[in-house]
Amino acid sequence: MKPFEYATALTVESARQLAGANGHYLAGGNDLLGRLKDDITEASRLVNIKAIPGLNRIEPGPQTWRIGALVTIAQIEDHPEIRRVFPGLHQAAAEVGSQQIRNVATLGGNLAQHSRCWYYRHRDIQCLKKRGRICYALEGDNRYHALFTGNVCISPVVSNLAIALTALDATAVVWRDGQERRMTMAELYELAWDNPTAHHSLRPGDLLLRVEIPTVRPRSAYLQISDKHSFDWALVSCAAAARIENGRIHNARIALGCVSPVPHQVTAANQFLEGKNLDEATADQVADLLLAGAQPQEHNAYKIPMARALIRRTLLQLRG
Amino acid sequence: MKPTDASSTGRLSRRDFFKGLGTTAVAAAAAQAESVAQELQKLNAEKVLGPGPVPVTLKVNGKTHRLELEPRVTLLDALRNHLGLTGPKEGCDRAACGACTVWLDGVAIYACQKLAIDAQGHEITTVEGLTPDGRLTPVQQAFVERDALQCGYCTPGFVMSVSALLRKKPKPTVDDVLHACAGNVCRCGTHPRVLEAALIAAGVRPVSMTRTEVISHV
Ligand SMILES: Cc1cc2nc3c(=O)[nH]c(=O)nc-3n(C[C@H](O)[C@H](O)[C@H](O)COP(=O)(O)OP(=O)(O)OC[C@H]3O[C@@H](n4cnc5c(N)ncnc54)[C@H](O)[C@@H]3O)c2cc1C
Ligand code: SF4
Ligand code: FES
Ligand code: FES
Repeated sequence: MKPFEYATALTVESARQLAGANGHYLAGGNDLLGRLKDDITEASRLVNIKAIPGLNRIEPGPQTWRIGALVTIAQIEDHPEIRRVFPGLHQAAAEVGSQQIRNVATLGGNLAQHSRCWYYRHRDIQCLKKRGRICYALEGDNRYHALFTGNVCISPVVSNLAIALTALDATAVVWRDGQERRMTMAELYELAWDNPTAHHSLRPGDLLLRVEIPTVRPRSAYLQISDKHSFDWALVSCAAAARIENGRIHNARIALGCVSPVPHQVTAANQFLEGKNLDEATADQVADLLLAGAQPQEHNAYKIPMARALIRRTLLQLRG
Repeated sequence: MKPTDASSTGRLSRRDFFKGLGTTAVAAAAAQAESVAQELQKLNAEKVLGPGPVPVTLKVNGKTHRLELEPRVTLLDALRNHLGLTGPKEGCDRAACGACTVWLDGVAIYACQKLAIDAQGHEITTVEGLTPDGRLTPVQQAFVERDALQCGYCTPGFVMSVSALLRKKPKPTVDDVLHACAGNVCRCGTHPRVLEAALIAAGVRPVSMTRTEVISHV
């Protein structure tokens, strides 16, 4: 790592000021230190945000739960009430990396992590996402890349928690320009749809404070398929959340991960589910709607049948 | 690399640092590592440190160490190259192999993906610190009994992961052990033996667990 300055912020505002133009917030450091070691990211200063009070709390509520940006993924995984109220979030947390990573990695860092595209992560490659001229994945090895994109970059969003939180329709609360700003999960990532250099919609200096999760969907599930059985990124992931009454599904939301620069949702798929019986035929129709218009690259067409299988399994898991 | 410069941007000189700690805390430093760490955190807070060496206080295996480190130095580097604790190994240096596993306040972390300066105020435990008298813990004993190592490079990391699990869950299932050890990899392929050692140390070896079943789990 190149030398950098270091400061510990005690308030949200001082974090922002200390970070200045070329400083980076340091939470668990799993993503940031990896990028600094490989010269993917330049930092003149790291601002440790872990001493800012109030951001490491899990606050249950009858209508809404608040989970602070500094809560670790292990805390989410191990929280017995989260397991009961938001099982999909529990499952997504349990699949992140390894125990050692989950013990330090934070919710905020997981949502704000950068692309895992191997060209982006290569110290000698200056691709479009690093403000170079071309995307190397389009002509190169794109087995882990996206089926959808709104720009040229086909690097998908890989945060497990983003997918589970999208299905649960969580709101991200961000500190921007001296005030709290609320974003849907779609808004938290929409910039990455249009802009090849973006990983999410956060601007330099924006600080994620917490996510707020409504309790209106008591059933939720998250499943992923990876190359390796454990300690591996998802090839495709799927999360769904809903309320089930008399065997019928209501208020459903379903999202796919690792197939688009944003958590992949299709409004028509969510609407189609309203009032349906959860069976394989319904799941297949949802898969048609979610995967319509997919544009596989040379090496990633396998993601389409994989996504279909995951959509079916995840939806059927909602039946309990 | 720039030398430490106390004059501008609120950076601290070594002298300021000790002044700031206050005489009481310094006098009782060894006994009251925690209050030192707290004071230190308050003192360091909101101040810009580095990029040159700055005072860093680490509590490792119950002892407090004062070091001068650049902020970019990782905890693994500090342990191995500044404190001579070579139990934690460097494998990947990218949070991907588990050779560097140590405890931070009793839970397993990768020492390679944590800055030493960011580990201040926490209790670090390396494999050397598992027993004060150098005798083997039941987990280590089980590793020996089951011959759960070949070259041994990954072993301290596995021992730390297994021991952390048993602190949290003294009677783990096979799946618990696999989940807790998924972030440790062994190039010599000792995983099935490590699983057996973990279950033996916990005294939960299921009768039905044949070696084949164990391997098919991994
Ligand atoms: C080997 C390996 C395997 C992994 N596997 C998975 C996996 O399977 N699934 C998965 O989802 N992830 C996986 N990860 C990614 C890991 O979960 C993330 O790196 C981690 O969650 C990041 O959190 P952190 O607290 O360590 O973030 P940091 O590294 O501290 O920060 C990450 C980024 O977010 C910014 N940031 C941090 N907190 C905030 C905040 N509150 N507001 C604004 N910006 C912020 C930082 O400035 C930085 O740019 C893996 C990582 C590794 C190294
Ligand atoms: S997919 Fe995106 S991150 Fe990967 S090489 Fe192309 S532009 Fe770069
Ligand atoms: S050296 Fe830290 S995980 Fe490999
Ligand atoms: S015993 Fe050789 S790496 Fe595990």
